[in-house]
Amino acid sequence: MSAPIGDPVAGRRERTLPKGADPDAPLLVVDGLTTHFDLDGATVHAVDDVSFTLRDGEALGLAGESGCGKTTTALSLVKLLPPNARIVSGSVRMFGVDLVPRSEDGLRRYRWREISIVFQGAMNALNPVRRVRDQIAEPIVQRLQLSEDEARSRAEALLERVGIPKARGSAYPHELSGGMRQRAMIAMALACDPAIVIGDEPTTALDVMVQAQVLELLEDLRAELGLSLILITHDLSVIAETCDRVLIMYAGRVAEEGPVRRVFALPRHPYTQMLLRAFPNIHAERRTLGVVRGSPPDLRTPPPGCRFHPRCPLAIEPCRETVPPETTFADAVRVACHLYPPGSDGTQVAVPIEQISAEPAGVAEPARAAEPAGPAGSPAAAGGGR
Amino acid sequence: MTAGPVVSTPRPAPSSRTARQVARGRSFAHRFVRRPEGLLGLVIIVFFAVLAIAPEVFVGPLETATTASGDRLEPPSLAHPLGTDNLGRDVLNLTVHGARISMMIGLLATLVTVLVGVLLGIVAGFVGGRTDTILMRITDFFLVLPTFVLAIILAPIVLELVGGGSEILGIRTTLIVIVVVIGLTSWATTARIIRSQTLSVKERAFVDRARVIGAGGWHTMRVHILPNVTGLIVANAVLVFAGAILTETTLAFIGLGDPFAPSWGQLLGAAQEAGAPGLGVWWWYVPPGACIVLVVLAFTLMGGALDDILNPKARGRR
Amino acid sequence: MTSRYLGRRLLQAVITIAGIVLLNFVLFRMMPGSPERVLMRNPNMTQAAMAAQRARWGLDEPLFPNQLVAYVSSTLQGDLGASFKYRGQPVTEVIGGRVGPTLVLFGLGELIAIFVGLILGAYSGWRRGGPVDYVGNGVSLILYSMPYFLLGMILLVIFATSLGWFPTTGMQTLGANFASPLEQALDFLRHLILPLAAVSLGLIGQYSILMRSSVIETRAEDYIQTARAKGLRGSRILRAHAVPNALLPTVSLIGINLGFIVAGAITVEVVFNWPGLGTLTQEALAARDYPVLQGVFLILAICVVLANFLADIVYGFLDPRVRT
Repeated sequence: MSAPIGDPVAGRRERTLPKGADPDAPLLVVDGLTTHFDLDGATVHAVDDVSFTLRDGEALGLAGESGCGKTTTALSLVKLLPPNARIVSGSVRMFGVDLVPRSEDGLRRYRWREISIVFQGAMNALNPVRRVRDQIAEPIVQRLQLSEDEARSRAEALLERVGIPKARGSAYPHELSGGMRQRAMIAMALACDPAIVIGDEPTTALDVMVQAQVLELLEDLRAELGLSLILITHDLSVIAETCDRVLIMYAGRVAEEGPVRRVFALPRHPYTQMLLRAFPNIHAERRTLGVVRGSPPDLRTPPPGCRFHPRCPLAIEPCRETVPPETTFADAVRVACHLYPPGSDGTQVAVPIEQISAEPAGVAEPARAAEPAGPAGSPAAAGGGR
Repeated sequence: MTAGPVVSTPRPAPSSRTARQVARGRSFAHRFVRRPEGLLGLVIIVFFAVLAIAPEVFVGPLETATTASGDRLEPPSLAHPLGTDNLGRDVLNLTVHGARISMMIGLLATLVTVLVGVLLGIVAGFVGGRTDTILMRITDFFLVLPTFVLAIILAPIVLELVGGGSEILGIRTTLIVIVVVIGLTSWATTARIIRSQTLSVKERAFVDRARVIGAGGWHTMRVHILPNVTGLIVANAVLVFAGAILTETTLAFIGLGDPFAPSWGQLLGAAQEAGAPGLGVWWWYVPPGACIVLVVLAFTLMGGALDDILNPKARGRR
Repeated sequence: MTSRYLGRRLLQAVITIAGIVLLNFVLFRMMPGSPERVLMRNPNMTQAAMAAQRARWGLDEPLFPNQLVAYVSSTLQGDLGASFKYRGQPVTEVIGGRVGPTLVLFGLGELIAIFVGLILGAYSGWRRGGPVDYVGNGVSLILYSMPYFLLGMILLVIFATSLGWFPTTGMQTLGANFASPLEQALDFLRHLILPLAAVSLGLIGQYSILMRSSVIETRAEDYIQTARAKGLRGSRILRAHAVPNALLPTVSLIGINLGFIVAGAITVEVVFNWPGLGTLTQEALAARDYPVLQGVFLILAICVVLANFLADIVYGFLDPRVRT
């Protein structure tokens, strides 16, 4: 049902690498990435010392609560940040080439052609006044220098591949259903045959049936094209279904990372344990859902030491003072927690069930909801004769 | 989708309502000060307001044809820093007094405009249904009209209605007429804006809850909707003021001014009639003109700053 | 574009014009003094003509609906009454001769302003914060705060009176003999430039501010981030993504603002003694020539409604979402 787009082989495809790229280097190595925002004079420590590796054909799930820095991390990879953000330190090496020190122009080669993004909320991420087919063809024309006609036929092939009939390509975004829009976004992300596709909550706004279809589509494409995937979501069940590895983030830092089955079967970090308890499992026995008490910290003034310690039922003395070091165990799981210091054997320190829902000890006063914001309207020119 | 992180407020919220209002006021003042354009606007407005309140203190009583202090059409000199007009009146004197008249008309016209506009806007937004549709049709109608010409036609009608006496409550009748006429023709934009805001406030949950509890319409409007619309009303009123001054200026220029209570617009009109531009008599009309530009600019800047503060959507964006 | 959308807009335009005629009728009846006094002020009126006019207006009949119908039908037939000042000359004739110059001045001014203003505004809004933006925005704000006629007066004193580059009044040099149509056209242009500059600059100030804030708002939209993620160049993003969307509210606002801008345009005529509707309005006001004033109001209002309809059509081309 599809027209071949890339060469469908497992592992690294035959592709033209960017200048300076090392064909033998790993696909993506992120080391110590730190991104800060300047907000009204204060500094928000959104991403702090995040490291991970992505291999060819691999799917990595980036999980965590809202505001934990997953989206910022992903956008930092191609420096797609707002003007008040800056990457303070760290490196992002793709094919061995560090993207962080590169200028906007130097980085452009990598955008979309090596790393593309499927944004959340396709209704807003698509230009409402241009036809869907043209938006997919746009990067093909602009970035790959193909002719308009060639680009259009490629775009239509892509649409067919994601399950949208060619005829619908001439539609505008508002004329498509939510699921079709999201699939169009996927088609658009594949337009330049990238090595990595980042999905930023690609199924969050969709209903369950459509969500399943879109995930299945991503899976098929990954197998067929040898894509690597970074899937950002707060929904652990999506990660369980689709990803090879999972990276759990909390308050801008890595909490735990490893093969999905392993981490979900034996969660080590207390946050991971509590997160998993909060998710209903249709196969497990009936139990009360755990609720992770408290809220994430204000990243303008993150707590010292481990950022999770105010909410952690197992917090010990070092947690308040020292940033926990990362320890990697034999089963390829990496944890950043004082309960698992370097040299320990990796036995899980389980959070007692009663403790999961209990009010954590020594937590700061829970943040109250902010006051209702001011009026949203804007006085347009009040006119008057002149 | 936001690229920025979620920032929660660790400070505990103040407990009492007045404490909250004080905190809100302080935060507002803080944000206002950080906007230099708004500050500049405020300074200019205060300057002209001071002139407008007591012009005699600065330049003495308003000069008339009989009390003219200089020769005709004198260029600026030490005795007359802004020169004289074709009747020999000191232009500085006329301009400073013009501040009072222009600002006063602006203020009163703004009051009328905002009153009518807010009333119609809130009622339309809150009541909804057929009332809303009818009111909005009327509003759109007024938006399209060339209200300037309408004002010119309305003026003699209003004059008839208002009566023949030369003063009402200490203000000259012709000026009252101008105020009413501007008010009657400029309310449409305000009504639209306030209606939008009312609609969006109405959507918010707490209004529904109030209704469920059984609070009456007027009560809900007063207690829930009004406070959330007030900020917008103020920001809009400032911009309306700017527009009112421009409208008054133009109406006075084309002949609806009062030569015995000359606003800046009236001075410009008189200068034009006497052929000042063609004669090169720039000192007659450039000062009042500059004042108009400064005041309108000031209100526009302040209105923009207020809008910025009260419209957080536009803050901190990419 | 669907005919449904067009049909709706056209219907709205027609209803608005109907409303304007109705409003005119109300004003006419509210004028100080009864219509009879209005008639009697005309020195050329004979008894017979007065009786005929009274019959035409149905003054002896009930106000509603007879008088209203009479008024509307006579308006539709092109009878807008007779001017006081011009001794009974039909208002349509008085106005007719003046529409052309105003159309030329205002039409050209709008075209120039839309072109220049939108481009300036887009550029300024996109490159927010540079020195060009501050200066440009500052100048635009000052122009926006200035009544157009004041701008005209200043331009006049500088370029016409002091420098003598351009004439100070009128549309054509009076009593001149022109060797050729070209010379006459040039003379016309020389007279046109200053008033045109006044109108255009004022409008440019307004439109560039509108477009600028529209582009600034558009810039924050998600699809702009998508475009950046695609690795497109800034100029391409501006042209292909930002501007087409930023134009939408701008076009709407331009349409709405037309009603307000009319005031400015016609007062510029007064400054330059340009023989159009503006000077006519001033003269009519001075002479309390209400039939002419009402006629001008009607014509201008209809023009604004039609221009708004035009703006609606343009909007329909630009925004596919309204076409369904």
